[in-house]
Amino acid sequence: MTVHKGRGIAAIEYPTGMNQNGDPSQAWIKVKPDGRIDVFAGTSDIGNGSKTIQSQIVAETIGVPYEWITYDNSNTDSSPVCTGTFASRATFVAGMAVKKAAERVRERILDIAGKELEIDPADLDIVDGEVIAKGSPQTKISVPDVAAAATWGHGELITGAGAQLKPYAAIVEPETGKVDLPPHSAISYASCAAEVEVDDETGEVRVTRLVQCFDVGRAINPTLVEGQIEGGAIQGLGLGVLETSYPYYPGMEHRGGQFGSYLAPGMEDLPVMDTVLIENPSVDGPYGAKGIGEMANNPQPPAIATAVHDAVGVWVTELPITPERVLRALQRKAAGEGEPTRKGKLIVYDEELSLAAVAHPDAPVRLVVDA
Amino acid sequence: MNLNVNGRTHEIESPPLTTLLDVLREELGVHSPKVGCEQGGCGACTVLVDGAPRRSCLLPVAALDGAEITTVEGLGAAEHLEPVQAAFVHHYAAQCGFCTSGLLMAATAYIANGGTDDREAIAEALGGHVCRCTGYVKIVDAVAAAARGDEFDLSVTAAGLFTTTMSGGAA
Ligand code: FES
Ligand code: FES
Repeated sequence: MTVHKGRGIAAIEYPTGMNQNGDPSQAWIKVKPDGRIDVFAGTSDIGNGSKTIQSQIVAETIGVPYEWITYDNSNTDSSPVCTGTFASRATFVAGMAVKKAAERVRERILDIAGKELEIDPADLDIVDGEVIAKGSPQTKISVPDVAAAATWGHGELITGAGAQLKPYAAIVEPETGKVDLPPHSAISYASCAAEVEVDDETGEVRVTRLVQCFDVGRAINPTLVEGQIEGGAIQGLGLGVLETSYPYYPGMEHRGGQFGSYLAPGMEDLPVMDTVLIENPSVDGPYGAKGIGEMANNPQPPAIATAVHDAVGVWVTELPITPERVLRALQRKAAGEGEPTRKGKLIVYDEELSLAAVAHPDAPVRLVVDA
Repeated sequence: MNLNVNGRTHEIESPPLTTLLDVLREELGVHSPKVGCEQGGCGACTVLVDGAPRRSCLLPVAALDGAEITTVEGLGAAEHLEPVQAAFVHHYAAQCGFCTSGLLMAATAYIANGGTDDREAIAEALGGHVCRCTGYVKIVDAVAAAARGDEFDLSVTAAGLFTTTMSGGAA
């Protein structure tokens, strides 16, 4: 028995937001008399952190501390429509809805502050909860005072609504094959390098290290982004070597009948893991963000498959790469039967064209290591 | 029969073969233990029985007369988190949170029994808890930090994590 080590790498691209589009998100925001901000939006937070991230976007856009934001997505009567948390859209699409609503609120705060300070709103800025005169920061009024003035003095409610909807795309002209709109708004890129150990007697594959590098556009909350990628990586490890509901698909035999017969990765399967974030901003997302929710578990399985090839010289072309499949591939190789091949698409990658298509024209690509 | 849950004694009315998990959630309204697999396979229902982590979905309540049960409700409240809870917050060790209650109880027992910050030892002790969201990295970080006795100022945690410098980038 020998344990062979191998390394492999894979790269992917992934569209952000609902492919073909037509998925609206809406938000509305009101400012309480004490200057605290209530955000009503329908995005459900399934653990991806969308409440946190959308609250950060609102705080940043208006210019107030994060702690002032209350985000209410608890009631479908009082919250506007959000198509939902799927297609990596909770930050990318719904985040734009809250950003637009926050921009309206910011304008309204500046309007009323302008009246209070008798200064043109265009000459005012909001920094850390205070409206200040540009160039003369001693001239200022706090956002709570503006909100109080609106409520008790001007008889107004400061509020703002915003919505994001990319129109339906991909109406294909039958003659030319041309598409009226691109089917998606931003492409994220990612790569994963895997290190594995393959036991040539048992066929067992152990993933010992995963390094993933994700283009997230803009990491609005780097720790949450890292959490999404780490979680995706372990799911990708599961898809790569452990998880299947139908081990002999399309045959139904040995399909799992209960929880214990489905192998999800556990803590002891956790490899050494490194995550690198690349910020290559999008044009359409809030602050250049792209979505990485769904793509997070994509690059690991092919990286693991290439690492297995590097280790023992066989291609396993079906997932998961179970001991049985590794041993069968090794047997075929020993018998001189050749390796399984699968014809793929040849993709010519043009970096400039690609970056130009998805990056914000003015923003430099930034690397965030160890976020 | 009687059950002491988080310091309070309750007279239990459920039939004797009802699982501890059902008694806690349905009869006593203690909802932190989660109903995951109900087969002992996921750890989401883990509570402490006389200080030891046990899967409450597998325990008939009749076997527990007089036992002391601890759940997350018996750890610290928001203003006075136990070190292990604070470590979970600080390290962002929860996403959907479904696994979190069970892991907090198992980690509490691990640390109470002298567990160290050794990552392999943590993985061995908590390896039976399935998490589908986090990839375990931040959970192990949190348990290791709590085992070391790291202290956190969570108001700073929030400020540090939530305040990124967005201005100046792409609009
Ligand atoms: S619900 Fe008890 S172990 Fe899964
Ligand atoms: S945080 Fe969702 S299962 Fe662990």
